[in-house]
Amino acid sequence: QATATDQLVGFGLVAFSLVLFVYYTLWIIVLPFIDSDHGIHQYFLPREYAVIIPVAAGLLLLLFIGVFIMFVMWKSRKHAKKSD
Amino acid sequence: MTKLGQWLCGLALLGSAWAALALAPPGLQPPAPLRQALLPLPVYLLVAFGCYSLATVGYRLATFNDCEEAAAELQEHIRAARADLRRRGLRL
Repeated sequence: QATATDQLVGFGLVAFSLVLFVYYTLWIIVLPFIDSDHGIHQYFLPREYAVIIPVAAGLLLLLFIGVFIMFVMWKSRKHAKKSD
Repeated sequence: MTKLGQWLCGLALLGSAWAALALAPPGLQPPAPLRQALLPLPVYLLVAFGCYSLATVGYRLATFNDCEEAAAELQEHIRAARADLRRRGLRL
């Protein structure tokens, strides 16, 4: 049974991903078709960041996962050695 | 064709269509706004897929539940298996 914290975190994740999707869709798909002197452009970073930020975030995520896996394997190996 | 083959095929089709449009010679290029939307499209699809995955994980986490019916069904299966094995002379 999902507790209140689980529900909070779960729906928080859903809301975050929805907001991210809408914002990124606006940025990538809609913005090129709006005149560049329109006021909406002040809410978005320059276009090159639309590629740089996701790539950097993905690399950071991969790095984090790699470090995490290395840490877990190292820990379990130490544990196995101790139990021998 | 396996599921993996289907996905790879679809991705290759989409990717080659994107490359053809993105690398077209200047005379054949789509108009400027369309081209600006087209160039980051692979990254956009990746981000959209990430958003979908995150939303799925969050939704399943929020609606995580005990499966009472499945538990009862499993108990029933175990009982049936035990009875069947006992009938065939296996001592449990």
